[in-house]
Amino acid sequence: MKRTEKIKIRLIGVSLPILLLILWHYVVSAGYVSHHILPLPGQVVETLVSLFTDHKLILHIAVSLRRVIYGFLIGTASGFLLGLLMGLSRIAEKILAPTFHTVRQVPLIGWIPLIVMWFGMNELPRILIVAIGAFYPTTLNTFSGVRDVPRRYKELAAVYGYTGFKLILRVILPSAFPSIITGFTLSLGMSWVLLIAAELLIETIAGIGKLIDVGRDTFNMELVVSGILISGLLGFAMTGIVEKLVQTVQKGRVFEQEL
Amino acid sequence: MSIEKGTLQIRNLSKSFTVDGSELQVLNNINLTFPAGSFISIVGSSGCGKTTLLRILLGLETNYEGDALLDGERIEGPGTNRGIVFQDHRLLPWLTVGENVAFGLDKQNRKAKKKIVDEHLKLVGLSGFESAYPAQLSGGMAQRVAIARALANKPEILLLDEPLGALDALTRMHMQKELERLWLLEKITMVMVTHDVDEAIYLSDIVVIMSSRPGIIKKIIKVPFARPRDRASSEFSHIKAEILKEFHLGTEYPFAYAI
Repeated sequence: MKRTEKIKIRLIGVSLPILLLILWHYVVSAGYVSHHILPLPGQVVETLVSLFTDHKLILHIAVSLRRVIYGFLIGTASGFLLGLLMGLSRIAEKILAPTFHTVRQVPLIGWIPLIVMWFGMNELPRILIVAIGAFYPTTLNTFSGVRDVPRRYKELAAVYGYTGFKLILRVILPSAFPSIITGFTLSLGMSWVLLIAAELLIETIAGIGKLIDVGRDTFNMELVVSGILISGLLGFAMTGIVEKLVQTVQKGRVFEQEL
Repeated sequence: MSIEKGTLQIRNLSKSFTVDGSELQVLNNINLTFPAGSFISIVGSSGCGKTTLLRILLGLETNYEGDALLDGERIEGPGTNRGIVFQDHRLLPWLTVGENVAFGLDKQNRKAKKKIVDEHLKLVGLSGFESAYPAQLSGGMAQRVAIARALANKPEILLLDEPLGALDALTRMHMQKELERLWLLEKITMVMVTHDVDEAIYLSDIVVIMSSRPGIIKKIIKVPFARPRDRASSEFSHIKAEILKEFHLGTEYPFAYAI
């Protein structure tokens, strides 16, 4: 593809956000929306710049990242194990699935008051809330990935005497890999959602959600919008890192083949 | 008297499945003896149990009445002394060609593995393709890799379940010659299930005709011709007519229409 082609495609992709930005500026400056509710883009940029030069922003980001990463790891690890167990064993599925699917119906945010009751108002409940968000997508996708391993691969493995760990590691998990990765990606998204919710709903001293909260309390809408933008950017960056990691593990291999 | 390696004996073999509560008799009192080193084709219309018979020989169906004996021992499960080539090549898409061929070679060290893989890829004419992925191969090439994989364990018998059924007509004819060449080289017993009567006559020493519901042996026809066989010869056509007659597909005397 020629360089000019690539640049054209980039420009088209960027044109919509720029259009929205212009629209945003116009709508506020012309008075259709009060600047008390929605600040001008320029004001948000000012706030962002001052946040960056103020060293405290790094602290907020670090605190939030810590919660997200721990919660994500706990949630996906346990989700993966449960999904794997239920996928491999029909008995385990029969025993665990009804409870799992019932508990799953509880709205995630509804867990927050309960967990605060049980664990208080410190880091553990916040991490647990993120973990709950990360738990379900990985469980479901791992389960379906393992369950959907084509019978023809399992037969092939049986012919060659693959059993136990060998079967799981070398046939079942590679075949389920795309589903599992989808689960991880969804879990990552949910982790960020639950993080902001936890930081907004549970009293905390630091974190991106805390910034949003402070902004809301002091009617500092520039701070609110800045906080949202930062959390979006961080989520975007984390997803990008996970995708890069997956690509290096995958090494260009294909895990499914149409016949 | 010691039994020659690769001798298959099937005595009073019966197999039924329970479908929707009722019993479906798939194989009924099958008696066959395959001399070591011979090429046998099993021909029959769909549903006559030929694939079930193959699965019993493979060890994937263990619950059967009667005896299926390899070298005098009852077949009770899968084992490396029997190889299989499926109709769909069943190469694992996340493994390279070389890794696929080495699928059953875990007991060997790396050097020995490489040697066997190289040997067998050379055997099927695919040297240099070790690092390719199955998705990059044509149907005929993938099937050749599957054959290499099956032969890599040096089995005593090779089972083939409509191995060329998924290939186009021209590739199929090439592959039939390939199969014959490999059989002459490796000198192992080959049992092939096929729909293609021409293929059966071209390749086999013995053609077993099965009928369905219940699955029984209808007729056993010996093909004592010299190799390579001429598809256009009269003796070829003669046997073909004999086989087709069993399927009620012989030439009928056409009506003359009076206008």
